[in-house]
Amino acid sequence: MAYGILSFGAYVPTLRIPRKAIAEAMVWAAPSLKGLAKGERAFANWDEDSITLAVEAARDCLREVAQRPDQIQLASTTLPFADRSNSGVVADALLCPERTTTEDLGGSRRAATSALVRLGLNPGQRSTLLLAADCRDARPASVQEMNYGHGAAALLVGEGEPIALIRGAASWHDDMVDQYRAADTDYDYVLEERWIREEGYNKLVPRAVAAALEEAGLDISEIHRVVFPASSATAKGVAKAIRANPDLFVDPLLANCGDCGVAQPLLVLAHALETAVAGEKILVIGFGQGVDAVVLETTARLTGMQATHGPARYLAQRRACSAYTQFLSLRNRLEVDFGLRAERDNRTSQSAFYRRRKDITGMVGGRCSRCNTLQYPRSQVCVKCGEMDCQQDESLSALQGRVKSYTEDWLAYTPLPPCIYGNVEFPDGANCMLEFTDFAPGEVKVDSTVRMVFRIKDFDPKRHFRRYFWKPAPLAGSGV
Amino acid sequence: MAKGIRDKVAIIGMGCSRFGERWDCGPEELILEAFKEALADAGITRDEIEMAWLGLFYQEQSAGKSALPLSLSLRLNNIPVTRVENMCATGTEALRGAVYAVAAGACDIALAVGVEKLKDTGYAGLPERTKGTFDDLWLPNATAPGAFAQLASAYAAKHRLDMQDLKRAMAHISVKSHANGALNPKAHLRRTITEEEALNAGMVAYPLGLMDCCGVSDGAACAIVTSVEKAREMGLKDLVTVKAMQLAPSNGFEMSNTGWDGSYLHTTRVAARRAYAEAGVTDPRREINMMEVHDCFSVTELVVMEDLGISPEGGAIKDVMDGVFDRDGQVPCQVDGGLKCFGHPIGASGLRMAYEMYLQLLGRAGDRQLGNPSLGLTHNLGGHPFRNVASVSLFGLYSA
Repeated sequence: MAYGILSFGAYVPTLRIPRKAIAEAMVWAAPSLKGLAKGERAFANWDEDSITLAVEAARDCLREVAQRPDQIQLASTTLPFADRSNSGVVADALLCPERTTTEDLGGSRRAATSALVRLGLNPGQRSTLLLAADCRDARPASVQEMNYGHGAAALLVGEGEPIALIRGAASWHDDMVDQYRAADTDYDYVLEERWIREEGYNKLVPRAVAAALEEAGLDISEIHRVVFPASSATAKGVAKAIRANPDLFVDPLLANCGDCGVAQPLLVLAHALETAVAGEKILVIGFGQGVDAVVLETTARLTGMQATHGPARYLAQRRACSAYTQFLSLRNRLEVDFGLRAERDNRTSQSAFYRRRKDITGMVGGRCSRCNTLQYPRSQVCVKCGEMDCQQDESLSALQGRVKSYTEDWLAYTPLPPCIYGNVEFPDGANCMLEFTDFAPGEVKVDSTVRMVFRIKDFDPKRHFRRYFWKPAPLAGSGV
Repeated sequence: MAKGIRDKVAIIGMGCSRFGERWDCGPEELILEAFKEALADAGITRDEIEMAWLGLFYQEQSAGKSALPLSLSLRLNNIPVTRVENMCATGTEALRGAVYAVAAGACDIALAVGVEKLKDTGYAGLPERTKGTFDDLWLPNATAPGAFAQLASAYAAKHRLDMQDLKRAMAHISVKSHANGALNPKAHLRRTITEEEALNAGMVAYPLGLMDCCGVSDGAACAIVTSVEKAREMGLKDLVTVKAMQLAPSNGFEMSNTGWDGSYLHTTRVAARRAYAEAGVTDPRREINMMEVHDCFSVTELVVMEDLGISPEGGAIKDVMDGVFDRDGQVPCQVDGGLKCFGHPIGASGLRMAYEMYLQLLGRAGDRQLGNPSLGLTHNLGGHPFRNVASVSLFGLYSA
């Protein structure tokens, strides 16, 4: 038994927009974007936000983990709720018991790495699921619109058999306003890149790195990989400043995913862990009004986890969206006329939700203790044998289902028509009519196998509320 | 041992408004249009009606809750009026209330009215309701075409059909209903269409195109019923009587359990079985002369032919393509145009179907009159295939 990182996970949403599509659409306003028009960026579907991204990364992280974490920390600058525990929603989606400590972290792009520093400096008995997710939107034709991405990462930290030990950790606070977003605005305000590089990265990063290395008792020459999610030009300067070989810098995933804000350091770390061997010392750097630096050392336990954890499968599972207006609309930046059906009032009955919150957020159905039939939603009377008050809670969220019937509905309102839904059969008799996600027209078939993902079910723009539920989606890595 | 409703109650008057986009009418005017026809047909006065049932589904967009829309519209003499609602089976439920009251001896003459005013919503299609219950937290934002389209995907998968073959049979059904509707002066859609038009129509919910979908219409229909004895006292001959009225709502089996494969309508099978027993029908394909079924979508009509035991399982496509359900076929179906072309003002539909049976049985169906039918079937399916209310009723000539 030792304290350290016990598991890791990541998630990148399926949708990608080629940067060329943005540049071509906005060239009239910003000809300089052409210079950035390489690769693609990931972006969240209309039914994804920082909560749902975090849930997917958490599921990737907890894949073979039997025990639920004692605490959940959710770091993001784009949490959907300012007052409603976002991590509490995540905890319910992950079927964590009520005694789980939940905490939302934000306020800086370092929110996740600062939490990791804290966990490194204060090892304890309680296991922590550290989640980082960001879903930053940017003003059309801005450099950020080209460079940002959406994604999430997760680390399970605690006592056990670590895949990586935390050898050293340090934070350096410095109120350098390289970029900021006021609490009541949608977009980041970003200052000049050269100033940030020269006064920020090159001067501040070495201070935190030196402190972390000192605590680890290591010299920079002993580091095998550096996780520093920045452009190659920036990385080169930082490499020189910390006297590290620039070749040790891990691919920051900017070309095929984009900069996922708070999530990026952990996402790139997860990418590094996919291929690291035992005994590698990895330096993780987070930047934003200061610097966090964490030194990790991988163990032999990592090997068993590499095939099934991390961002590679999600990066491979991509769907190109080349229509810039569709990208804007899916990110709610363009008011498309979806007709009168879109006007429906989506008020949520909070008391009805509260009564059935486990059913909704955890997709908890019931298993009849008399005839063993699994059913969703659960009811007091078994749908199969009619026995009353006999159902035991059982979630369907981890089950795979088989499509029994489906339709692609061009009439029903959805921000991404057609609305695809159908009847899905689960093991042990359960059967539900469900709305699908991440499928394109023509992809769902009778007998398709689907997995369940946690998504936004509906928005209530009138009351600024959103509700969540589970939807059938393509199997991860299925290429669909 | 209960004996059922067979031959206890006679329909002595019926009326039906013209269906369609009745921009000229509110629900009150539609009710009156149907009522006046029924009253004249029955040859009675308004004050002879002792009890009434009103069928209305979308009270929010239409006439409002309670007995009042009917009682106020017709200025009824403070007689008991009950409003019923059972989705697309609503009209039949109004009739069932009136029929049962007469059969029970609670009154001599009862009125059943069904009405729906759908075209005041400002858009095509059925009205959307405000969401706010537990189901809204998890069920898809489904539309009726999307829910019924899945019958087609499941039916095609079960019988290993090429979707194009199924689509062609569905097109045949729509072409037939349009041809029938063209003969009906009260029908909403009176234009004939070709198979190509049906097959090439814009997609609404795969695989249902626009021509696979019924109209959204305004309309009202109404029936006046009495006991066979009272009808005799009134000197009426050629009585049309109720042979069976059966209702089967879902209990969750279809939606919450794997026992149902999505390719058929479970409750219709249950209701049909009971209705045939009540009416003493043993060979429906041979004994039933005509049908008005719930053809909200072409595929529903196709699947229902098997659920009603008219076609063998998996045999509906062949029967459809062989013309069994055409106007000149063995069991003509939707002779008045059906929901597809007569229209589907929800609360009125069950009574509109009974109206066609009534006219045909009495030989009063004009251009679309069939030979000499003696037994007809009506069928409603309220809700979606995975959760619904089915009704199956039989009407025939009284022979005592």
